[in-house]
Formats: sequence, C-alpha cells, structure tokens
Amino acid sequence: MKNLEKNNAPEAMIESLVGQFLKARSGTEFNRSAKGPHLDHDSLAAFTEGNLSEREARPIVSHLADCSFCRHVTAELIRLDLAFADAPAPAPIAAAAEPSKISEVLSGLLSRIFGTSDGAVFAHNAESKPEEADEKDAPVEPEDLKD
Amino acid sequence: MPTEAKTSADLSAENHEMIDLIYARCQENAPNFGVTADCFKDSLTRTIFKYLGAEGDPESGDVDSLLTQIQADDLFLALACANGNERAWWEFDQAHRSYLERVARHLAKTEVDAQEVIDQVYVELYGTKIVDGERVSKFSTYSGRGSLRGWLRTVIWHSLVDLHRASHDEVSLDEMTENVGEGMAHASFAETAPGGEDEMMDHLARERYRKATVSALASAMASLEDHEKLLLLFYHVDNLKLREIARLVENESSPLRGWFQRKSRSRDENPSGRIHESTIMRWLEKSYARVLSLFKSELTEKFSLKPDEVEICLGLATKDLSGSDLFSQLSAG
Repeated sequence: MKNLEKNNAPEAMIESLVGQFLKARSGTEFNRSAKGPHLDHDSLAAFTEGNLSEREARPIVSHLADCSFCRHVTAELIRLDLAFADAPAPAPIAAAAEPSKISEVLSGLLSRIFGTSDGAVFAHNAESKPEEADEKDAPVEPEDLKD
Repeated sequence: MPTEAKTSADLSAENHEMIDLIYARCQENAPNFGVTADCFKDSLTRTIFKYLGAEGDPESGDVDSLLTQIQADDLFLALACANGNERAWWEFDQAHRSYLERVARHLAKTEVDAQEVIDQVYVELYGTKIVDGERVSKFSTYSGRGSLRGWLRTVIWHSLVDLHRASHDEVSLDEMTENVGEGMAHASFAETAPGGEDEMMDHLARERYRKATVSALASAMASLEDHEKLLLLFYHVDNLKLREIARLVENESSPLRGWFQRKSRSRDENPSGRIHESTIMRWLEKSYARVLSLFKSELTEKFSLKPDEVEICLGLATKDLSGSDLFSQLSAG
C-alpha cells in the first residue's frame, strides 16, 4: 500500500500526499488541547476494546481526530490489546484456594508496597477494625510508600 | 463530556429495575464483597451519564443497551476493592496479578522497571489521597464499560510513561513523542532537501501552486467525517498496521465499522463477518478517493485550474511535500 509512489496514478499520489500532510499537521498539533480535556483511562480502555455504541463513541472519535496525544495513546493501547489478545480470561477462584486468613495474605502483599504494618494497610476498614479508626483520617504521604 | 451532575433519579423505572437485577446477580456471585445496592447504583448512574450524556439526556433504550453490555462482575469487584474489602482484594490479586505482571514486563525495558510499575499500580489502585476523610482509590474511576483487564492495561501503560518521564527528569511530552513516533515524522520533513528539478521551476508558479495545493488539501481533509480522519491518522501518523486497525473494529457492533459500512452493501450481506486487513485497505482507498475528489473540486472551482493542471499540481505536490518549505506552510495553515 505504501509503495504506491512508483505508480503515477492520482489515486496513488493522493495517498502519499495525504500521509505527508497528516504527519506534518500532527507534528504541530501535538500539544494542542483539542475538544476539551484529554480522554481518561476508562474512556480510552473502553474505546480500544471496540464495545462502545455509536452514541458513546461519537464524541471520543471526534476528540481523537483532533488530539494527537490521545490518539497516540490509543494506538499504543490497540497494539497492546492485540499483543494480549490470546491471554486467558481470569479463571474463577476455587473455594479451596481461599486462604484461611485472607487479611494476612492481603496485608502481606500490600505492606510490601506500603512499608507499613498489617493493621495500617487496612486502617480504612473501620467496620472490621474499629480499633484502628484513628489512622483512617491520617493522610498517606507518597514519601511513606518508598520506605 | 457532560458537566452537570446527574443522579439515579434521572433514570426510568425500567432502568432502575434492570440495575436491581444486575446487582442481585453480582451479589449472588460475590456475597462477601460488601458492595451496597446504593453504591452500585450510584456507580452505574455515573457510567450512564458519562458515556451517554454528551448528546443530551439518553433515551431509556440507550441506557438498557449500555446496561446489557456492562462488565458487571468486574465493576462489582472494582467497587469492593475501592471500598477496601479484603476478600475482593484477595480475589483481584488471584485473578489479575499475573496478568498485570505480564503486561508490565511486555512494556518495560527491565525487570526492575516492571516491578516498580506493578508496585506503583497497586499503590494507585489502593489509593493514597484522603478526601473528606475517605481514601480515594483508583478503582473508583473504573466504570465497567470496558473490561477490567483493558482498563488495567491502560493504567499500567500510563504508569510506565510516568516512570519514563520521571527517569528522564520530567521530559516534555514533545520530547517523548520525538522518541516514539510522531516527532520522527516531524524531523524527517525538516531534513529533506529539494531536488534540482524543483529549482528549475518558476518561482511565482511554484508559489501559486503551493498555496493552492495546501489550501485545497486542508479543505479536503476538513471535509472528511471524523471516523475517516481517524482511520487515516491511525494509519499514516500513528503507523497502526491494517491488522491492528482490524482488531479495533473486530466487534460486529463497532461504531467505526458501522460508519464505514453504512453506505456499502457489505454490512447487509455479511453483518457479522470478520473484518480482514483487505477490508481496512478498502476503507482507506475510499477515504483517499474522497480526498482526491474534494481536492480536485477545490482546485478547479476555487483556484480555476484546468484538469491537466490539477494532475500536474498533484504530482508536483507529492514530491514537494517532502521539502521543508511546504511543511512550514502546512504548520501555519
């Protein structure tokens, strides 16, 4: 398709012309905020999966035609989607796989990231751990996560 | 996207009934997640007005259609995780962690980067900001309109971009894209020098033809519909392959597919047929034909060029577009 330059037919020349034109235009429009703010993760993911209706997709397609930033992200996500097209769907969790104490498993998992004790990780869960309510309102600083 | 906040009170009784049914099924599937009916309904209401509210209040049928396609179990899990339900977090980790790791390793340059991104994504999913005494989890931004895995892929991709930016001392998006695609196209325009043949052309004639070409092409492109522009941009600027574009329209109800097939017989003959690369190529060719037709009309009608002049103009323009002079006109145009 892109080798049509050797053909002098107008149809072949217009393909090349369109390609060059769009690349030139897009290079200058990269930082232009198109119609409204950039698309969020949820809209990008839903559009990439191709499941939106016409009504839902229309404003997204309109935005993508104008916003090279969001379009670039979308193109990357389409490639990623194709790369993982064969990934098996998440299997149902077998009851036998459930640990005897879920909170211990989860706390271990998240405390590795947060660098906090088990209790602090689930401090927000006031109903199940009322004794930790004081920690609920304490803001979590990003710096704390790197300890 | 709509700015006015809507509530579930704006939905019809049929919509409420359907949401209740979906909730009951999710609750049956995951009784330990602790998601309340109100929480679930509020989330779905936000989804409905986010995706259907851009063109005014949605019809009840539009809402029904959306609700039948909602990834309800994924949304239920995400809401439970956002609320900090331990059982939900454990199930999320069991079902999706290995997938997250695969995606991160596929995208990251090093194992260290991949691990860092996974950790960062878990932190975001859990949430570190406290607003009005409530922790804000990234999960709360998942709408259920696409799959949870598709959403997670997007979150990982963005986290990797952020990691890349941080490691490059907050490089601008311009610099980033210079390394990943669009900027490369920009650079190649500036490097190409005009050939000797071009120098033989009369300066005034060249300027006249250039002005007409840029104007006619810009006008032709502006006349295309958004889905046609998007297809051309995906192919020429973002360098998506035909099979990658075909993947995007794989779903038989894909709106892009519908728009391209609306005026052709192919949808009627084979509405659920698989989209092959050759189909995408045909769509591209139709778009080129539209541009060519509009381009020629503009040159003959607005600039009063004769048909043979238009052909010469087209050939010269194709060659001259690789030069920096015309590129600067495009930038300004």
